[in-house]
Amino acid sequence: MTSVTTSAPPRKTRRAKAPPERREWTGLAFVLPFLAVFVFAIVAPLFYAVYLSFFQDRLVGGSFFAGFANYAQALTDPLLHVGLGRVLLFFAVQVPIMLGLGLFAALAIDSGRLRAKGAFRITLFLPYAVPSVVAALMWGYMYGNEFGLIRQIGDAIGVATPDLLSASWVLVAIGNIVTWSFVGYNMLILYSSLRSIPTELYEAAEIDGAGAIRTAFSIKLPALRPALLLTTIFSVIGSFQLFNEPNVLRALAPTTISSYFTPNMYAYNLAFNGQQYNYSAAVAIIVGAVTVVVAALAQRLSRAGEK
Amino acid sequence: MRITRARGAAVTAAALTLTLTLAACSGGSDGGSSDGGGGGDVTAADIDAALDAEGTTTLQYWSWVPNLQPTVDLWNEAHPNIQVELTNAGQSADQYTKLQNAIKAGSGAPDLAQIEYFALPQFALGESLVSLDDVGLSDLESDFTASAWEQVAAGDGHYAFPQDTGPMVMFYRADILERLGVEAPTTWDEFLTVARAIKADNPENFIASIDPGDAGGVDSLIWQAEGRPFSVEGTDVNISFGDEGTQKFAELWDTLISEQLVDVAGGWNDAFWRSLDSGRYAMWMTGAWAPGSLETNIPSTAGSWKAATMPVWEAGTPANAENGGSGTAVLAKSENKAAALAFARWLSTDSEAVQAQVDAGLFPSTSSIMADTDFLGATSDFFGGQAVNEVFVQASKDVSSGWQYLPFQVYANSVFGDTAGQAFSNATPIADGLTAWQDQITTYGNGQGFKVTND
Repeated sequence: MTSVTTSAPPRKTRRAKAPPERREWTGLAFVLPFLAVFVFAIVAPLFYAVYLSFFQDRLVGGSFFAGFANYAQALTDPLLHVGLGRVLLFFAVQVPIMLGLGLFAALAIDSGRLRAKGAFRITLFLPYAVPSVVAALMWGYMYGNEFGLIRQIGDAIGVATPDLLSASWVLVAIGNIVTWSFVGYNMLILYSSLRSIPTELYEAAEIDGAGAIRTAFSIKLPALRPALLLTTIFSVIGSFQLFNEPNVLRALAPTTISSYFTPNMYAYNLAFNGQQYNYSAAVAIIVGAVTVVVAALAQRLSRAGEK
Repeated sequence: MRITRARGAAVTAAALTLTLTLAACSGGSDGGSSDGGGGGDVTAADIDAALDAEGTTTLQYWSWVPNLQPTVDLWNEAHPNIQVELTNAGQSADQYTKLQNAIKAGSGAPDLAQIEYFALPQFALGESLVSLDDVGLSDLESDFTASAWEQVAAGDGHYAFPQDTGPMVMFYRADILERLGVEAPTTWDEFLTVARAIKADNPENFIASIDPGDAGGVDSLIWQAEGRPFSVEGTDVNISFGDEGTQKFAELWDTLISEQLVDVAGGWNDAFWRSLDSGRYAMWMTGAWAPGSLETNIPSTAGSWKAATMPVWEAGTPANAENGGSGTAVLAKSENKAAALAFARWLSTDSEAVQAQVDAGLFPSTSSIMADTDFLGATSDFFGGQAVNEVFVQASKDVSSGWQYLPFQVYANSVFGDTAGQAFSNATPIADGLTAWQDQITTYGNGQGFKVTND
């Protein structure tokens, strides 16, 4: 190390004297394609949405600058509050179940005690490959109160099944679809994280006399913390973005699933059925901000747990 | 292994972007309605001249009418100088969203578009459509049924060529009524009696269903009861479900729902067709365009069906309503207005074109075909050899006048399930549900710059 530092000074001075224009810009050329797409597809629409949210456009009277009026309206909009409350509840109940199942599956596959673990892994992951609209349609058929598969099985074995598309069950029904779709996805993230734990740790644990359960709690789970945080944040986003599943099921349950069932559905219906693009933009920005806050909270909590 | 702050921030930023993309794709706020409109620069002579014009004009035409291509082909073969390209840009509300966005953006809109009667006032108000009166085509009135011509009117103009109509018809399972030994009801009192007979026979069955998310179906039933909840004059709008007709409708359906004589369930889904197939529902009251859908979805019930005019409120006083139907509108921003008008006029009035569309399953809007003996005499095997067009034509003649849609009916319909539909689903008074609907669309209308009253 010392030899390096002693030989360095002359080069250092030469570099310091070099004019600033000679900085290397070739790297930029490599990033440019990405930056261009990023700016046009993500940054520009974002700013455009913010811009839109400061206007109002009426069917009679046209467009005018409205300042923060859209935001003031959205913050006190009971329909938006109901939607946000619903996705929060959904997040609080569905996400722990989904991540718990994903974690259990990842640990089971990683334990090496499963036969045909490749087949198990791919089967669990397969639902993720089904587009969410198709998944919702498929489950919708099964949920149907009159001719749905679940009701028919219930009838066959003499069990009274509830109406899964009624107000008290529909959130559970949606949670089931989302869990079915995403357990495998989360399992894969957690499993790949498990695979990257150095084998020395396991060997050391074995030498220390730790069993499978002890290894899981003392080595695997701590090592999984970052991956768990990642899946949690994805799930926060997923919950607040809930749209496809309720929107598809709405055809079957037009009154239990309202047009403002989730914040995203509300924003969609405001924009596309009500022509209230500007108000919709404000609603979307508020929902985005809430999502960021919840995601940040999740991160903060996880970091606090680490210490 | 642990997520760095930067990566965490990137993830949360991604969360924000994903949410906002939705808002961003919603399009511009540019007032596309500031110019254009009316279309007064085109005259009837220009339209005839366009037919013989040199060179080739290509027209973009948006429609989701099934099997329409053969009709368009007929035109294209006969008019090499005006070629029409048909695009299915989505059904109903989906297409209106695209159309509205294209109009706002000022580019990408077609020359012609199919627009349902209920959505027409909204586009007419924005001066996005050519008024037939401005281009000297108001004399077409005599070509169409009275209700069709009335439905393309908005404000002081007529904004589309009526393409098809949907007079309400009662489609019923003759086999079920026969087994129970009851006649098809001709009044709503008889309807209630038949409904109770069906329930008494098997508590699992219903006379019919009502879709608590479908504003159009309920509007038609209110219209048929002589209710007129919406009235529009320019930007002055009155919304009131307190009138006598609406109340009659609400009371009857309160009874039907509380006695569980009708099923409150969505339409057009798997369970709906299975119910019509199995006889769980004995009837479907809907527009005269329905036979094609019945034949396609439940072919196994062929021969068991019959069609009749709707039950009336007072015996001997025919009254009917329309359900669905659309017109062909020419966009004010089109650069080929004369050619587009020529095609649209042909599509709605030429006897060969009308026949081709009837063959494709549409119920027409022209008065001439309604008197055509071949049309009237045509029998249908699906309806056990009944000459159903006679029923449909009678249903069309019975349609009562004076119904108006709101200039923001697309929005109003989208929140029907949130408000009025709740009363149907929860078996609470329908009048209260309609009041909730009235309140919400009144607030919306006022927020959009209309002057909405509830008298």
